[in-house]
Amino acid sequence: MTSPAGTSRRDMLTGAASLGLAAFGLTAFGLTAALPGTVRAAPYDGNAWRRYAERFLLPEGRIVDTGNKGISHSEGQGYGMLLAVAGGDRAAFDRLWGWTQRVLMVRGDGLVAWRWTPDGGVADRNNASDGDMLIAWALLRAAETWQAEAYRTAAIAIVKALASGLLVEQGGLTVVLPGRDGFRKGDTLVLNPSYWIFPAIRAFAALPGGERWGKLSDSGLVLLSKARFGGFQLPPDWMTLDASGTVGIAEGFKKQYGYDAVRVPLYLALDGYRDPYYFRPFSTLAAKYGGKAVPATVSLPGGTTTQVAASVGMLAVYRLACQLAGAGGEAVTVPPLAPDEDYYSTTLAHLSALAAQSLGIAP
Amino acid sequence: MTRPVLLPALLLAGIAVAGGGAGVWSSAWAQSNGGARALAPGVKVEVAPAPGSGSAPAAGKVDETALRYYARIGDGERLEAEIARLRALDPSWEPPKDLFAPQPTTAGVDESPFWTLLSAGKVAEARAAIAEQRRKSPSWQPSDKLLQELDLAESAGRIRSASDTKRWQEVVDAAAAQPEAVACNRLDNAWRLAEAYAELKQADRAFDTYKTIVTTCPKAKERRDTIFKASRYLKPEQLRELSALGATSNPATGEDYSSVRTAEAELETGRLLERLGNAKPGALSAADLSRVQGIVRDKQDADGAIALGWYFQKQKNYAEAQSWFSQANGWAPSDKAAEGLVLAYNGLGEKAQARAAAEPWKGKSSRIDQVLKAVDPPRGPSTPGGGRSAPQGPSELDRALARHDFAGCIAIIRSSIERSGPTAALLQQRGWCLLELKRPSEAEAAFVEAQALAAREPAPKPAKGGASATGKGSDRNPAASGPPQTPTREQENVYGQAIARLTTGDVTGLTRDLPRANLTPTQKAEIRASLMATEAGRALEDKRYHDVLRLLDARREIEPEPRNLGILRGWALYNLMRYDEAYAQFKSIDDRLSTEDSREGVSTAWKTIYHDW
Repeated sequence: MTSPAGTSRRDMLTGAASLGLAAFGLTAFGLTAALPGTVRAAPYDGNAWRRYAERFLLPEGRIVDTGNKGISHSEGQGYGMLLAVAGGDRAAFDRLWGWTQRVLMVRGDGLVAWRWTPDGGVADRNNASDGDMLIAWALLRAAETWQAEAYRTAAIAIVKALASGLLVEQGGLTVVLPGRDGFRKGDTLVLNPSYWIFPAIRAFAALPGGERWGKLSDSGLVLLSKARFGGFQLPPDWMTLDASGTVGIAEGFKKQYGYDAVRVPLYLALDGYRDPYYFRPFSTLAAKYGGKAVPATVSLPGGTTTQVAASVGMLAVYRLACQLAGAGGEAVTVPPLAPDEDYYSTTLAHLSALAAQSLGIAP
Repeated sequence: MTRPVLLPALLLAGIAVAGGGAGVWSSAWAQSNGGARALAPGVKVEVAPAPGSGSAPAAGKVDETALRYYARIGDGERLEAEIARLRALDPSWEPPKDLFAPQPTTAGVDESPFWTLLSAGKVAEARAAIAEQRRKSPSWQPSDKLLQELDLAESAGRIRSASDTKRWQEVVDAAAAQPEAVACNRLDNAWRLAEAYAELKQADRAFDTYKTIVTTCPKAKERRDTIFKASRYLKPEQLRELSALGATSNPATGEDYSSVRTAEAELETGRLLERLGNAKPGALSAADLSRVQGIVRDKQDADGAIALGWYFQKQKNYAEAQSWFSQANGWAPSDKAAEGLVLAYNGLGEKAQARAAAEPWKGKSSRIDQVLKAVDPPRGPSTPGGGRSAPQGPSELDRALARHDFAGCIAIIRSSIERSGPTAALLQQRGWCLLELKRPSEAEAAFVEAQALAAREPAPKPAKGGASATGKGSDRNPAASGPPQTPTREQENVYGQAIARLTTGDVTGLTRDLPRANLTPTQKAEIRASLMATEAGRALEDKRYHDVLRLLDARREIEPEPRNLGILRGWALYNLMRYDEAYAQFKSIDDRLSTEDSREGVSTAWKTIYHDW
């Protein structure tokens, strides 16, 4: 089975993210005193986009995953396109979309090959549904922002390909398979809770004939209520759904909550959800660690935590989750993005800022 | 950062804010997602007074209800039309600034759909529907009552799943976070909590939890069941305390707690009866013994009476033994009861009585035929006593066998072989005794050896009363139809090997070899019955419940269903969702003798039928 975005690539996040170094950095460079001023997340704006593009967008139009040997993937392209729209940079958006079409859309079924390496080009032709969804959603937003029908047409083609190949019904729920190939083990499906990009799904549901996407959204909330494991009641990065609608923690993957599932509260917030119930598992985890050295992963259901601390971007997500869970944003300390902050952390930080802005809980 | 723009223009054109840096995802975007249609995204909607207009409009001048509704659901077209309409009514009117801010106008959300989901057990679906509603109506909050019930249902589910997967600390944590999830109306969860404490070796907390249940939960049946549940973890004196507390604390009107008071005694009886089976003589205190006797008498429990009979028989208290075997035979006649009775009379020296007791089963039960040898020992060199013929009475070996002293049997045979060499008969008997001692591999070897030796020995005269098989498994009674064929020694050996293979679990091989095996029809039927029982057990493990019933039905044609297979049948019925039948099955077994097995069946089936988890 090919592994889609997220299975292993983030496990190599090290360096500044580790507990020891983070603590060392703060004290050694006298940054502790600056913390009170940084409790508020930096707003996302045109300047933020420009800095992001300088760091992660190469001239040919691909976003580099700096935490992962400089590879590129459909998820990164999707995030880049979204941030470019929100940053009002159409030229950059076109470069991103052009590279994505040219290099990654080589499958012939309208979906996007998920992984590309500088040495070998397309390294995995399987798609990663979250990458496809992010790209299609960014295209829809671009179409609306810049009144360009071509983006919309392209988006609809991807959405249709996703609907016909990746949306399936199981146990009375409509779910999205993480990729075209693999992810079915007998009667049981392997799913990724963080592939429910709620605002994207809602945008797809609003398209003509988008009813199944509406069901996908409803099912996502049901699954997130069912997929709660361990002391913190966190969702796993990878879960199973059997024919009777029972969820479990997927075998063959790391049995944990971590780099993938941290996006669950982010996507809920981005879609305007504010029910504290859905944010409490994440705020409880953050609160347990005083909102600082939150572990990056938690084994499920056991609850063993890693020595690696959550990155700045993950902390930004926790801050958001705490605000929505009613625990208060001050419960989490989010340091400023480091000059060498990696792609994933930076992306999460910006998306968190956008979510807070759209919910009206940040300027 | 963003410039004030006119709302209608924005809605119509959906254009981005011109100039002034990046457009930012706006609050309008998020809020407008509440409806089926999105407002123009990518723009910051800030409703500003039209040029030349004065201060904010006076409230109450125009009805803005519809306007706010369209804004909330994100219907841009209608919103724009409504603005035009209101402007036409009042040219000085301006759209309110807080058009997209959450309004407390949706406080009257109807909660009934969520309650419907919750009461249907669809907790996750209820959560999802509430989240969706809160997204659409940010000012709305579900009632505290609804949230409490949802929390409760989830905690209860969490306790169940943590306990099912033996994550005991999580059971404790979840219960601590939601104590109502382990209240009397969720008794099963309270039991799981106590069990978790016990498994975590927090014996005091386990005891306290059980104590809380039996002193606060009002129903006698619940208190009684709790004591049975607790029996797995608590000491007898703690169970006695629970029984006493449960019978007296916080009585509810109309409840009869006498069954709570006796629960502990019944439990102890069950335990004692089990102990009676393998107890060394005198292992039970006089008090224990009299308690068991009282309860066995009250319940007219034949199995219990037989156990008591053997207990006394082993102590050579033949009078007491005879009385219990007689009781058993009176309550439920069986060759098992008769077997004991024969030996008890024999012990008393009342041979005529012994023979009379055997009479109804003579020639029909190998158990009886064997035991008669203790009354009228067969003569001749082929006596199981081997070289030591004992015409005047039962041999030392026969006496050991009659006492069910199988370790003694092995010792006697060993010394006999050392003295005068092995015989096929001795080796065969050794096989039976090893089987009784649950050493099937050695037993099989003994039967093979016996068979080999028998082939070299001169053919034995057909022994009157059959060959030695006294020690045969206690549940194997040939269902004799017509005169039973007396097995030859060869057949006895083959039979012994088959039983040994059954015991080691070689079902496949045995099933394959059975049709060609040199066995009497009765022996074959017995083995087949045992094979079917084993197969039924496997079928249950594999969740092939129809097969379980099919096998047990076929087996019941050969011989009556013993208790353990009756329990098996109950679970098969249960898993086929034939709950009423399962309940009746467990209940009938439990009524005869209540053990943990039967109680668990009764209680599980009952709860399933009455949704009483």
